[in-house]
Amino acid sequence: MGWFGLLGMVVLPMVMTAVAGCSAVPVARTPLCGPSGSLRVGVMDPVEGRGSSRGAGLSSEQRESLGKLLTVASGCQVELEPLDSPERARMKLAARKWDAAFLPPGLTAFALRAELGYTPLRPLGLRQSSLSAVLVGEGSRLRHLSDLNGAKVGLLPRGSLGGFYLPLYNMHGLSLGRVSFALDYASLLAMLKRGEVDAIAWDESMPDPGPAVRRLQVDGHAIPLGSLVLSSALAKADYLPFLKTLDDAAAQMPESIGYSASGLPQQQKLQPLKAIVDNVESWSMPLEGQPHRVYGRKITS
Amino acid sequence: MAITLSVVFSLSLLLAVLVLDQFFGWQAKDLINQRSDFFMDSMLAVREYTTKNVNPIVAPLNNGPGIFRPEAVPSYSANTVFDYLRAKPDYKQYSYREAALNPTNLKDKADTFETSIIESFRESPSTTSVSGEKMTPLGSFHYVARPIRIGKESCLACHSTPDRAPRSQLLAYGDSNGFGWKLNEVVGAQIVSVPQEALVQSKRQSLLATAMMLMVTFVVVGLVTNAVLDQLILRPMRRISSKAEEASVTPASVSFEEKVRSDEIGLLAQSFERMKQSLAISMQMLKDRQKP
Ligand code: HEC
Repeated sequence: MGWFGLLGMVVLPMVMTAVAGCSAVPVARTPLCGPSGSLRVGVMDPVEGRGSSRGAGLSSEQRESLGKLLTVASGCQVELEPLDSPERARMKLAARKWDAAFLPPGLTAFALRAELGYTPLRPLGLRQSSLSAVLVGEGSRLRHLSDLNGAKVGLLPRGSLGGFYLPLYNMHGLSLGRVSFALDYASLLAMLKRGEVDAIAWDESMPDPGPAVRRLQVDGHAIPLGSLVLSSALAKADYLPFLKTLDDAAAQMPESIGYSASGLPQQQKLQPLKAIVDNVESWSMPLEGQPHRVYGRKITS
Repeated sequence: MAITLSVVFSLSLLLAVLVLDQFFGWQAKDLINQRSDFFMDSMLAVREYTTKNVNPIVAPLNNGPGIFRPEAVPSYSANTVFDYLRAKPDYKQYSYREAALNPTNLKDKADTFETSIIESFRESPSTTSVSGEKMTPLGSFHYVARPIRIGKESCLACHSTPDRAPRSQLLAYGDSNGFGWKLNEVVGAQIVSVPQEALVQSKRQSLLATAMMLMVTFVVVGLVTNAVLDQLILRPMRRISSKAEEASVTPASVSFEEKVRSDEIGLLAQSFERMKQSLAISMQMLKDRQKP
């Protein structure tokens, strides 16, 4: 047999095999995925303790469309986790279980700690300044923070700036009679009005609590906005196309998230508050329904 | 002849590849369905283990002052175990969800597509599993789903009313989601999904390997056939042909040794030998006649 025939016998099948093998060509793109192979995104209401509705203040349609938007922006399968408890969100961040997160200010400060290494991308939330306060009943005999020794105090869970870190920071050295937690300020107010607690943490940007209560103290720190943060691993990757897609779709994002397409994270405003969060984090922590001595080394700046 | 052979070989290879393509497609889907079933059974076992062995130990802690420990939750342990499983490259493509209509953790909230699956389970209680394809912004996915039914009274401790649930759970998940479930109600579905691309890829790998093997076999068979044909038939034929040529001029000096062979070549050689001898005789007669 001639060489030509042999050649045909080898080459023709090869071509056919190649044709059969390449029927589906994968689309080329570099997805922004976390180490698990998907993009795990935590979602918290950027305004602490607002408790407008459960699920980070988003309806299920809003959650679904936010999930779709993030999927398109990242090119990766998205696991969206909306949470209401800052304490659980704090644990997720501490365990680096989230690749990106929509966070309120307290958790933003926590996420930016050096050992966690999250990077802030965009500010969240519309409110420009709010202050943390401590409320007591109108008729209460408590006049000063120091009167809180032995008192029953209601706080937002660990992770909240205005409802946990700041009030505890200001109560340093006191022995509280009992600490109770609630997921939002409205529930704390109800507890105060029912007399279950003697004092509660409060945020001045909440609707007026009415004449039945009185301010025991108002903290001077302006509370900054929340932030969209990215894990250190993803911040090293090329995340700009992802961010651009989000920026372009800012108008479609749920209003309550308050995504600002052009805003820069308020690093400066956050700095002193971050120091306070770091400081309080090193103290002993109160437990639900238990007495608590606010104890630890206080660093004043 | 060589070209005809190679075309026949190539066409049969192409046919084989087309048939195998179909076959491996079924096989890949079957493998994925089998794995998905296995995953879901394993996750049920993990849930069972959590309910029977872990919850009795952790539940008292959750009723105490500390933060809620999800290790006592069957769904949490199943999801966590699956995450570890997915760390293995073989399973990286798979994803597992326990989607519910009214979930405790809103990450488990059924999307529109999942809701339709759960509703179909609720409407026909005899259905134990469904599978199919779904489209997402990332492309098409193959999924397998099974209903999650509240089979035990113990589940209702945390899923019936907020006042029965541990206080720590309310602080962790709120008091408005994941309650009001009833015994024997289908509340959600276990869903395993795999990108269609993975299916195509695994099919393509099997196909490519098999096609390569077939091709190598065909080529080897072709080469061997060629060599054997050459040795046994073509070469003797060429020899006989050149001898026949020679015999047409000087028949006496030519000898067809192949005639000793017992095959068709031998027969041919014998015929030529007879023809040569007749030719030699005829030529001799002609010569004799010319001598006066
Ligand atoms: C200790 C309280 C507790 C018990 C007991 C319990 N669950 Fe849950 N369940 C939870 C919590 C909390 C979650 C959310 C877990 C998470 O963060 O993923 C959950 C999640 C789920 C989910 C996923 C959807 C969702 O709600 O987020 C299903 C389905 C589920 N549970 C079914 C059951 C079944 C069936 C049983 C009985 C075998 C059971 N649960 C027992 C507390 C409990």
